[in-house]
Amino acid sequence: MTDLHALAAKVAAEGEGPRLPAASPVDQTMIRHWTEAIGDANPRYRGQDAIAPPAMIQVWSMYGLDRASARRIRVPLDDLLDALTEAGYTGVVATNCEHTYHRHVVPGDELTSATRLTDLAGPKKTALGDGYFVTWNVTWYAQDEPVAEMIFRLLKFRPREKRSPSEERKPYPLRPAQNRDTAFFWEGARSGELRIQKCGDCGELRHPPGPLCPSCRSTERTYAVAAGTGVVYSYVVHHNPPVPGRETPFVVAVVELPEGVRIVGNVVDCAAAEVEIGMPVRVAYHVMDDELTLPMWTPVQHRES
Amino acid sequence: MTQVTRVVVTDLKRTQIVMYAGASGDYNPLHTDEPYATEIAGNPTVMAHGMLTMGLAGRVLTDWFGHENILRYRARFKAPVWPGDTLTVTANVTSMAEGRAEIALVAVNAAGTAVLTGTATALVTGETE
Repeated sequence: MTDLHALAAKVAAEGEGPRLPAASPVDQTMIRHWTEAIGDANPRYRGQDAIAPPAMIQVWSMYGLDRASARRIRVPLDDLLDALTEAGYTGVVATNCEHTYHRHVVPGDELTSATRLTDLAGPKKTALGDGYFVTWNVTWYAQDEPVAEMIFRLLKFRPREKRSPSEERKPYPLRPAQNRDTAFFWEGARSGELRIQKCGDCGELRHPPGPLCPSCRSTERTYAVAAGTGVVYSYVVHHNPPVPGRETPFVVAVVELPEGVRIVGNVVDCAAAEVEIGMPVRVAYHVMDDELTLPMWTPVQHRES
Repeated sequence: MTQVTRVVVTDLKRTQIVMYAGASGDYNPLHTDEPYATEIAGNPTVMAHGMLTMGLAGRVLTDWFGHENILRYRARFKAPVWPGDTLTVTANVTSMAEGRAEIALVAVNAAGTAVLTGTATALVTGETE
Protein backbone atom coordinates (compact mmCIF):
# COMPACT_ATOMS: atom_id res chain seq x y z
CA MET A 1 0.00 0.00 0.00
CA THR A 2 2.97 2.26 -0.48
CA ASP A 3 1.21 3.89 -3.44
CA LEU A 4 -1.23 5.50 -0.99
CA HIS A 5 1.68 6.96 0.94
CA ALA A 6 3.27 8.11 -2.30
CA LEU A 7 0.03 9.81 -3.26
CA ALA A 8 -0.20 11.35 0.21
CA ALA A 9 3.33 12.72 -0.14
CA LYS A 10 2.40 14.23 -3.48
CA VAL A 11 -0.79 15.78 -2.08
CA ALA A 12 1.03 17.08 0.97
CA ALA A 13 3.70 18.61 -1.24
CA GLU A 14 1.02 20.63 -3.00
CA GLY A 15 0.51 22.39 0.32
CA GLU A 16 -2.42 24.65 0.83
CA GLY A 17 -4.82 24.23 -2.05
CA PRO A 18 -6.63 27.12 -3.67
CA ARG A 19 -8.60 29.39 -1.39
CA LEU A 20 -12.16 28.49 -2.15
CA PRO A 21 -14.81 31.13 -1.50
CA ALA A 22 -17.64 30.24 0.84
CA ALA A 23 -20.99 29.79 -0.89
CA SER A 24 -22.29 32.98 0.69
CA PRO A 25 -21.15 35.56 3.23
CA VAL A 26 -21.58 34.84 6.93
CA ASP A 27 -25.19 35.64 7.67
CA GLN A 28 -27.70 35.69 10.48
CA THR A 29 -30.03 33.13 8.94
CA MET A 30 -27.38 30.43 8.82
CA ILE A 31 -26.37 31.31 12.38
CA ARG A 32 -29.99 31.09 13.50
CA HIS A 33 -30.48 27.69 11.85
CA TRP A 34 -27.30 26.31 13.38
CA THR A 35 -27.94 27.60 16.90
CA GLU A 36 -31.53 26.37 16.75
CA ALA A 37 -30.35 22.93 15.63
CA ILE A 38 -27.97 22.86 18.59
CA GLY A 39 -30.63 24.30 20.88
CA ASP A 40 -28.52 27.31 21.83
CA ALA A 41 -30.77 30.30 22.55
CA ASN A 42 -27.94 32.58 23.68
CA PRO A 43 -28.88 36.17 22.71
CA ARG A 44 -25.31 36.86 21.57
CA TYR A 45 -26.16 35.10 18.30
CA ARG A 46 -29.17 37.27 17.53
CA GLY A 47 -29.87 40.80 16.44
CA GLN A 48 -27.77 43.67 15.14
CA ASP A 49 -24.43 42.79 16.76
CA ALA A 50 -24.72 39.03 16.37
CA ILE A 51 -21.57 36.96 16.09
CA ALA A 52 -21.20 33.46 14.70
CA PRO A 53 -20.70 30.65 17.23
CA PRO A 54 -17.03 29.65 17.20
CA ALA A 55 -17.74 25.93 16.77
CA MET A 56 -19.74 26.77 13.63
CA ILE A 57 -16.66 27.78 11.65
CA GLN A 58 -16.58 24.70 9.43
CA VAL A 59 -20.15 25.30 8.31
CA TRP A 60 -19.22 28.38 6.31
CA SER A 61 -17.22 26.36 3.82
CA MET A 62 -19.60 23.41 3.45
CA TYR A 63 -20.95 22.86 -0.02
CA GLY A 64 -24.65 23.44 0.52
CA LEU A 65 -27.39 21.42 -1.11
CA ASP A 66 -26.23 21.43 -4.72
CA ARG A 67 -24.35 18.14 -4.53
CA ALA A 68 -23.64 17.96 -8.26
CA SER A 69 -21.73 21.22 -8.43
CA ALA A 70 -20.13 20.46 -5.07
CA ARG A 71 -18.49 17.41 -6.62
CA ARG A 72 -16.89 19.57 -9.29
CA ILE A 73 -15.05 21.61 -6.66
CA ARG A 74 -11.99 19.60 -5.78
CA VAL A 75 -9.03 20.11 -3.52
CA PRO A 76 -5.89 17.92 -3.66
CA LEU A 77 -7.02 16.12 -0.49
CA ASP A 78 -9.99 14.70 -2.43
CA ASP A 79 -7.58 12.68 -4.59
CA LEU A 80 -6.28 10.89 -1.52
CA LEU A 81 -9.73 10.30 0.00
CA ASP A 82 -10.98 8.93 -3.33
CA ALA A 83 -7.93 6.67 -3.64
CA LEU A 84 -8.58 5.27 -0.17
CA THR A 85 -12.20 4.57 -1.09
CA GLU A 86 -11.12 2.85 -4.30
CA ALA A 87 -8.61 0.76 -2.34
CA GLY A 88 -11.52 -0.61 -0.31
CA TYR A 89 -11.33 1.74 2.67
CA THR A 90 -14.93 2.78 2.18
CA GLY A 91 -15.89 3.32 5.81
CA VAL A 92 -15.36 6.71 7.35
CA VAL A 93 -15.49 7.98 10.90
CA ALA A 94 -14.25 11.30 12.27
CA THR A 95 -11.86 10.96 15.20
CA ASN A 96 -10.49 14.41 16.01
CA CYS A 97 -11.33 18.04 15.43
CA GLU A 98 -9.22 20.89 16.74
CA HIS A 99 -10.30 24.48 16.28
CA THR A 100 -8.20 27.57 16.80
CA TYR A 101 -10.07 30.87 16.67
CA HIS A 102 -8.03 33.98 15.78
CA ARG A 103 -11.05 36.24 15.87
CA HIS A 104 -14.78 35.76 15.99
CA VAL A 105 -16.68 35.74 12.75
CA VAL A 106 -19.53 38.18 12.16
CA PRO A 107 -22.33 38.49 9.59
CA GLY A 108 -20.98 40.03 6.42
CA ASP A 109 -17.60 38.30 6.59
CA GLU A 110 -16.74 36.89 3.20
CA LEU A 111 -14.66 33.84 3.99
CA THR A 112 -12.41 31.67 1.92
CA SER A 113 -10.97 28.37 3.03
CA ALA A 114 -7.84 26.48 2.10
CA THR A 115 -7.09 22.84 2.86
CA ARG A 116 -3.81 21.01 3.13
CA LEU A 117 -3.06 17.41 3.96
CA THR A 118 -0.80 17.07 6.97
CA ASP A 119 -0.62 13.34 7.62
CA LEU A 120 -1.55 9.88 6.42
CA ALA A 121 -0.98 7.10 8.96
CA GLY A 122 -1.57 3.44 8.34
CA PRO A 123 -2.60 0.87 7.57
CA LYS A 124 -3.56 0.29 11.18
CA LYS A 125 -5.76 -2.29 12.82
CA THR A 126 -8.73 -0.67 14.55
CA ALA A 127 -11.89 -1.87 16.20
CA LEU A 128 -13.80 -0.97 13.05
CA GLY A 129 -11.40 -2.70 10.66
CA ASP A 130 -8.07 -1.97 9.00
CA GLY A 131 -7.75 1.64 8.01
CA TYR A 132 -5.81 4.83 7.49
CA PHE A 133 -5.95 7.96 9.60
CA VAL A 134 -6.01 11.05 7.41
CA THR A 135 -5.27 14.41 8.97
CA TRP A 136 -5.70 17.75 7.29
CA ASN A 137 -5.65 21.39 8.15
CA VAL A 138 -8.18 23.99 7.03
CA THR A 139 -7.56 27.72 7.36
CA TRP A 140 -10.39 30.21 6.97
CA TYR A 141 -9.54 33.68 5.77
CA ALA A 142 -11.43 36.97 5.69
CA GLN A 143 -9.61 38.67 2.84
CA ASP A 144 -6.02 37.80 3.82
CA GLU A 145 -6.60 37.62 7.53
CA PRO A 146 -6.74 34.09 8.93
CA VAL A 147 -9.74 33.99 11.27
CA ALA A 148 -9.73 30.33 12.25
CA GLU A 149 -7.95 27.04 11.71
CA MET A 150 -9.03 23.47 12.02
CA ILE A 151 -7.11 20.22 12.27
CA PHE A 152 -9.42 17.39 11.27
CA ARG A 153 -8.65 13.69 11.45
CA LEU A 154 -10.74 10.83 10.21
CA LEU A 155 -10.37 7.12 9.86
CA LYS A 156 -11.00 5.60 6.45
CA PHE A 157 -11.51 1.90 7.13
CA ARG A 158 -12.23 -1.31 5.34
CA PRO A 159 -15.51 -2.55 6.86
CA ARG A 160 -15.33 -6.08 8.19
CA GLU A 161 -16.55 -8.83 5.91
CA LYS A 162 -20.24 -9.54 6.16
CA ARG A 163 -20.77 -12.42 8.51
CA SER A 164 -22.77 -15.51 7.74
CA PRO A 165 -26.49 -15.38 8.60
CA SER A 166 -26.03 -17.47 11.75
CA GLU A 167 -23.51 -14.93 13.03
CA GLU A 168 -25.69 -11.98 12.21
CA ARG A 169 -27.95 -12.35 15.19
CA LYS A 170 -27.60 -9.14 17.13
CA PRO A 171 -26.22 -9.57 20.64
CA TYR A 172 -28.88 -9.28 23.30
CA PRO A 173 -28.23 -5.83 24.76
CA LEU A 174 -28.47 -6.69 28.45
CA ARG A 175 -25.62 -8.81 29.75
CA PRO A 176 -25.76 -10.52 33.13
CA ALA A 177 -22.73 -10.33 35.37
CA GLN A 178 -20.56 -13.27 34.37
CA ASN A 179 -17.57 -13.89 36.56
CA ARG A 180 -15.82 -16.70 38.43
CA ASP A 181 -18.70 -16.96 40.87
CA THR A 182 -21.44 -17.10 38.25
CA ALA A 183 -19.83 -18.67 35.17
CA PHE A 184 -21.03 -22.19 36.07
CA PHE A 185 -24.63 -20.94 36.13
CA TRP A 186 -24.51 -19.43 32.63
CA GLU A 187 -22.61 -22.40 31.24
CA GLY A 188 -25.36 -24.58 32.67
CA ALA A 189 -28.07 -22.48 31.05
CA ARG A 190 -26.35 -22.85 27.68
CA SER A 191 -26.27 -26.60 28.07
CA GLY A 192 -29.84 -26.84 29.38
CA GLU A 193 -29.13 -27.26 33.08
CA LEU A 194 -30.40 -25.17 35.94
CA ARG A 195 -27.35 -25.22 38.17
CA ILE A 196 -27.59 -24.12 41.79
CA GLN A 197 -24.49 -23.37 43.76
CA LYS A 198 -23.76 -25.84 46.55
CA CYS A 199 -21.35 -25.51 49.43
CA GLY A 200 -18.43 -27.91 48.99
CA ASP A 201 -18.28 -28.49 52.75
CA CYS A 202 -21.73 -28.41 54.36
CA GLY A 203 -23.67 -29.05 51.13
CA GLU A 204 -26.13 -26.19 51.55
CA LEU A 205 -27.61 -24.79 48.32
CA ARG A 206 -27.51 -21.06 47.75
CA HIS A 207 -28.66 -18.68 45.05
CA PRO A 208 -27.61 -16.24 43.68
CA PRO A 209 -24.06 -17.62 43.58
CA GLY A 210 -21.39 -16.10 45.77
CA PRO A 211 -17.86 -16.81 46.93
CA LEU A 212 -18.69 -17.80 50.52
CA CYS A 213 -21.16 -20.18 52.14
CA PRO A 214 -23.49 -18.11 54.36
CA SER A 215 -23.93 -21.06 56.73
CA CYS A 216 -20.41 -22.38 57.30
CA ARG A 217 -18.30 -19.69 55.61
CA SER A 218 -16.53 -22.21 53.46
CA THR A 219 -15.13 -21.03 50.14
CA GLU A 220 -15.38 -24.53 48.71
CA ARG A 221 -18.18 -24.65 46.19
CA THR A 222 -19.74 -26.93 43.68
CA TYR A 223 -23.21 -27.10 42.21
CA ALA A 224 -26.31 -29.23 41.99
CA VAL A 225 -28.56 -29.50 38.96
CA ALA A 226 -32.11 -28.51 39.87
CA ALA A 227 -35.14 -30.40 38.59
CA GLY A 228 -36.27 -27.31 36.71
CA THR A 229 -39.66 -26.93 38.35
CA GLY A 230 -40.95 -24.40 40.80
CA VAL A 231 -43.82 -22.18 41.83
CA VAL A 232 -44.22 -18.42 41.51
CA TYR A 233 -43.35 -17.01 44.90
CA SER A 234 -43.84 -13.37 43.88
CA TYR A 235 -43.84 -11.34 40.67
CA VAL A 236 -44.15 -7.94 39.05
CA VAL A 237 -45.46 -6.96 35.63
CA HIS A 238 -43.04 -4.52 34.02
CA HIS A 239 -44.71 -1.91 31.80
CA ASN A 240 -42.26 0.99 31.92
CA PRO A 241 -39.61 2.14 31.33
CA PRO A 242 -38.76 0.44 28.02
CA VAL A 243 -36.03 -2.19 28.27
CA PRO A 244 -33.62 -2.73 25.36
CA GLY A 245 -34.32 -5.96 23.51
CA ARG A 246 -37.65 -6.50 25.26
CA GLU A 247 -41.27 -5.89 24.49
CA THR A 248 -43.37 -4.67 27.40
CA PRO A 249 -45.23 -5.73 29.41
CA PHE A 250 -43.24 -8.66 30.70
CA VAL A 251 -43.32 -10.58 33.96
CA VAL A 252 -40.40 -10.81 36.36
CA ALA A 253 -40.98 -13.47 39.00
CA VAL A 254 -39.27 -14.93 42.02
CA VAL A 255 -39.63 -18.67 41.55
CA GLU A 256 -39.30 -20.99 44.53
CA LEU A 257 -37.62 -24.26 43.64
CA PRO A 258 -38.38 -27.57 45.39
CA GLU A 259 -34.64 -27.70 46.13
CA GLY A 260 -35.21 -24.83 48.57
CA VAL A 261 -33.79 -21.74 46.88
CA ARG A 262 -35.53 -18.93 45.03
CA ILE A 263 -34.47 -17.63 41.67
CA VAL A 264 -35.47 -14.58 39.63
CA GLY A 265 -36.62 -15.03 36.06
CA ASN A 266 -39.20 -14.07 33.46
CA VAL A 267 -42.49 -15.90 33.20
CA VAL A 268 -43.22 -16.37 29.49
CA ASP A 269 -45.70 -18.13 27.21
CA CYS A 270 -48.71 -16.73 29.03
CA ALA A 271 -50.46 -13.37 29.39
CA ALA A 272 -49.20 -11.21 32.23
CA ALA A 273 -52.71 -11.17 33.72
CA GLU A 274 -52.69 -14.96 34.00
CA VAL A 275 -49.65 -15.10 36.26
CA GLU A 276 -50.45 -15.63 39.92
CA ILE A 277 -48.64 -16.44 43.10
CA GLY A 278 -48.39 -20.17 43.66
CA MET A 279 -48.60 -20.95 39.94
CA PRO A 280 -46.51 -23.99 39.02
CA VAL A 281 -43.88 -23.26 36.40
CA ARG A 282 -41.17 -25.12 34.55
CA VAL A 283 -37.85 -23.80 33.31
CA ALA A 284 -37.38 -23.10 29.58
CA TYR A 285 -34.07 -22.06 28.09
CA HIS A 286 -34.25 -19.06 25.80
CA VAL A 287 -31.27 -18.55 23.52
CA MET A 288 -30.82 -14.77 23.46
CA ASP A 289 -27.71 -14.71 21.26
CA ASP A 290 -24.61 -16.73 20.51
CA GLU A 291 -23.28 -16.39 24.05
CA LEU A 292 -26.26 -15.93 26.29
CA THR A 293 -29.04 -18.32 27.23
CA LEU A 294 -31.54 -17.17 29.85
CA PRO A 295 -33.53 -19.59 31.97
CA MET A 296 -37.16 -18.46 31.87
CA TRP A 297 -40.32 -19.99 33.27
CA THR A 298 -43.43 -21.26 31.54
CA PRO A 299 -46.69 -22.25 33.21
CA VAL A 300 -47.19 -25.95 33.80
CA GLN A 301 -50.52 -26.84 32.20
CA HIS A 302 -53.01 -28.23 34.68
CA ARG A 303 -53.68 -31.25 32.56
CA GLU A 304 -49.98 -32.05 32.71
CA SER A 305 -49.68 -31.67 36.45
CA MET B 1 -15.95 28.59 39.71
CA THR B 2 -13.57 25.99 38.31
CA GLN B 3 -15.96 23.27 37.17
CA VAL B 4 -19.23 23.24 35.28
CA THR B 5 -21.42 20.20 34.68
CA ARG B 6 -24.38 20.45 32.39
CA VAL B 7 -26.71 18.19 30.45
CA VAL B 8 -26.44 19.45 26.88
CA VAL B 9 -28.96 17.13 25.27
CA THR B 10 -31.62 14.82 26.66
CA ASP B 11 -32.87 11.87 24.59
CA LEU B 12 -31.28 13.02 21.34
CA LYS B 13 -33.86 12.81 18.57
CA ARG B 14 -33.23 11.75 15.00
CA THR B 15 -34.95 15.01 14.11
CA GLN B 16 -32.15 16.96 15.77
CA ILE B 17 -29.57 15.01 13.78
CA VAL B 18 -31.50 15.89 10.62
CA MET B 19 -31.70 19.51 11.76
CA TYR B 20 -27.95 19.58 12.30
CA ALA B 21 -27.36 18.03 8.88
CA GLY B 22 -29.40 20.84 7.36
CA ALA B 23 -27.84 23.58 9.44
CA SER B 24 -24.28 22.41 8.89
CA GLY B 25 -24.52 21.16 5.30
CA ASP B 26 -23.21 17.71 6.28
CA TYR B 27 -25.61 15.22 4.67
CA ASN B 28 -23.36 12.17 4.91
CA PRO B 29 -25.74 9.18 4.76
CA LEU B 30 -24.19 7.81 7.97
CA HIS B 31 -26.11 10.62 9.67
CA THR B 32 -29.22 10.86 7.53
CA ASP B 33 -30.08 7.55 5.88
CA GLU B 34 -31.14 4.70 8.17
CA PRO B 35 -30.99 1.89 5.56
CA TYR B 36 -27.52 3.05 4.50
CA ALA B 37 -26.34 3.36 8.10
CA THR B 38 -27.58 -0.09 9.08
CA GLU B 39 -27.32 -2.24 5.96
CA ILE B 40 -24.26 -0.79 4.24
CA ALA B 41 -22.26 0.81 7.01
CA GLY B 42 -23.30 -1.86 9.53
CA ASN B 43 -24.11 0.57 12.32
CA PRO B 44 -27.02 0.04 14.72
CA THR B 45 -28.71 3.20 13.43
CA VAL B 46 -27.86 6.72 12.24
CA MET B 47 -24.95 8.27 14.11
CA ALA B 48 -24.93 11.85 15.34
CA HIS B 49 -22.34 14.10 13.67
CA GLY B 50 -19.18 14.47 15.72
CA MET B 51 -19.47 18.16 15.04
CA LEU B 52 -22.98 18.15 16.54
CA THR B 53 -21.56 16.72 19.76
CA MET B 54 -18.71 19.23 19.57
CA GLY B 55 -21.22 22.06 19.10
CA LEU B 56 -23.42 20.85 21.95
CA ALA B 57 -20.45 20.55 24.29
CA GLY B 58 -19.08 23.90 23.11
CA ARG B 59 -22.06 25.68 24.61
CA VAL B 60 -20.61 24.99 28.02
CA LEU B 61 -17.49 26.95 26.99
CA THR B 62 -19.23 29.84 25.25
CA ASP B 63 -21.80 30.33 28.00
CA TRP B 64 -19.09 30.18 30.65
CA PHE B 65 -16.30 32.30 29.17
CA GLY B 66 -18.11 34.34 26.53
CA HIS B 67 -18.09 33.65 22.83
CA GLU B 68 -15.36 36.08 21.88
CA ASN B 69 -13.01 34.63 24.47
CA ILE B 70 -12.71 31.09 23.19
CA LEU B 71 -9.30 30.85 21.54
CA ARG B 72 -9.01 27.14 20.95
CA TYR B 73 -11.30 24.13 21.20
CA ARG B 74 -10.04 20.62 20.56
CA ALA B 75 -12.16 17.51 20.56
CA ARG B 76 -11.63 13.78 20.25
CA PHE B 77 -14.61 11.75 19.17
CA LYS B 78 -14.21 8.77 21.48
CA ALA B 79 -17.41 6.86 20.88
CA PRO B 80 -20.44 7.23 18.63
CA VAL B 81 -23.47 9.20 19.74
CA TRP B 82 -26.82 7.63 18.86
CA PRO B 83 -30.46 8.72 18.91
CA GLY B 84 -31.78 8.45 22.45
CA ASP B 85 -28.49 9.48 24.04
CA THR B 86 -28.41 11.96 26.88
CA LEU B 87 -25.10 13.78 27.08
CA THR B 88 -23.63 15.41 30.14
CA VAL B 89 -20.63 17.68 29.79
CA THR B 90 -18.20 18.38 32.59
CA ALA B 91 -15.66 21.15 32.03
CA ASN B 92 -12.79 21.85 34.43
CA VAL B 93 -10.31 24.68 34.54
CA THR B 94 -7.00 22.86 34.75
CA SER B 95 -4.71 25.86 34.87
CA MET B 96 -4.80 29.62 34.68
CA ALA B 97 -1.95 31.86 33.57
CA GLU B 98 -1.57 35.27 31.96
CA GLY B 99 -5.31 35.79 31.76
CA ARG B 100 -5.89 32.51 29.97
CA ALA B 101 -7.70 29.49 31.29
CA GLU B 102 -6.94 25.98 30.10
CA ILE B 103 -10.03 23.82 30.22
CA ALA B 104 -10.51 20.07 29.99
CA LEU B 105 -13.93 18.79 29.11
CA VAL B 106 -15.63 15.46 28.70
CA ALA B 107 -19.06 14.52 27.40
CA VAL B 108 -20.50 11.25 28.67
CA ASN B 109 -23.64 9.36 27.70
CA ALA B 110 -26.15 7.90 30.13
CA ALA B 111 -24.05 4.73 30.45
CA GLY B 112 -21.10 6.86 31.59
CA THR B 113 -19.10 6.26 28.40
CA ALA B 114 -17.03 9.22 27.29
CA VAL B 115 -18.18 10.12 23.78
CA LEU B 116 -16.07 13.25 23.47
CA THR B 117 -13.03 14.48 25.32
CA GLY B 118 -11.52 17.84 24.68
CA THR B 119 -9.45 20.76 25.77
CA ALA B 120 -9.93 24.46 25.29
CA THR B 121 -8.19 27.74 25.90
CA ALA B 122 -10.18 30.83 26.86
CA LEU B 123 -9.35 34.43 27.64
CA VAL B 124 -10.52 35.21 31.14
CA THR B 125 -12.13 38.58 31.67
CA GLY B 126 -13.30 39.88 35.04
CA GLU B 127 -16.85 38.78 34.40
CA THR B 128 -16.12 35.08 34.09
CA GLU B 129 -14.41 34.57 37.43
